[in-house]
Amino acid sequence: MDFDTLLRLHLYRDFVETGRPPSTERLARALQTPLAEVRAGMERLAAGKAIVLQPESRELMMATPLCALPTPYLVRVGSQSYFGACVWDGLGIMAMLRRDATLETSCPCCGEALAIEAVAGRLTSAPGIIHFGVPARRWWENIVFS
Amino acid sequence: MLLFRGEEHVDRWCVQWKQPRGALLMIDQAWRLAQVWYGKKMEADWRRATLEETEGLLEGLGLTGPFWSLRP
Repeated sequence: MDFDTLLRLHLYRDFVETGRPPSTERLARALQTPLAEVRAGMERLAAGKAIVLQPESRELMMATPLCALPTPYLVRVGSQSYFGACVWDGLGIMAMLRRDATLETSCPCCGEALAIEAVAGRLTSAPGIIHFGVPARRWWENIVFS
Repeated sequence: MLLFRGEEHVDRWCVQWKQPRGALLMIDQAWRLAQVWYGKKMEADWRRATLEETEGLLEGLGLTGPFWSLRP
């Protein structure tokens, strides 16, 4: 297995297990790899749009669909919880983990609470409708806004 | 990509915040999209879909037209 795949898998597994984004230093320690090599690997993963890095610190911002920063899209899975950057990523977390899960958010218009629930891979509660404001070809022009 | 209670809430929000109205997606459609898009992200053989594969995925979910086009 190549290093970038190893890094990606470890990064995701650690994020999912702890519910927190792993720092580059933590990844370097766990993989027993020099920090500079891990940083370079993170940059390659970001260039390949597997992850998104913060603009200055170059620490993890998104291991899509997981978001390292708090957002209005909270996914609860067992005793763990995660943030998605948008409703699609919230659904993506539920799909990626393949476990019973609930996505909690609220209507941006009126503030009413909304929850989407998945059990055994099927949606059992799915209120509302999703608005995509940015055309598909422009999603990666500014993925944080999209 | 925001979740609203209903279409009238989308319209009201777009007017209030002076945002262009984009495309609407049913949650079932988004769920299927999320399953294909992210289902293998934690697996060793995951790779980013090609342009053609992504186009096929969107078309398969009935997401066609200029808004869903990936080409400039």
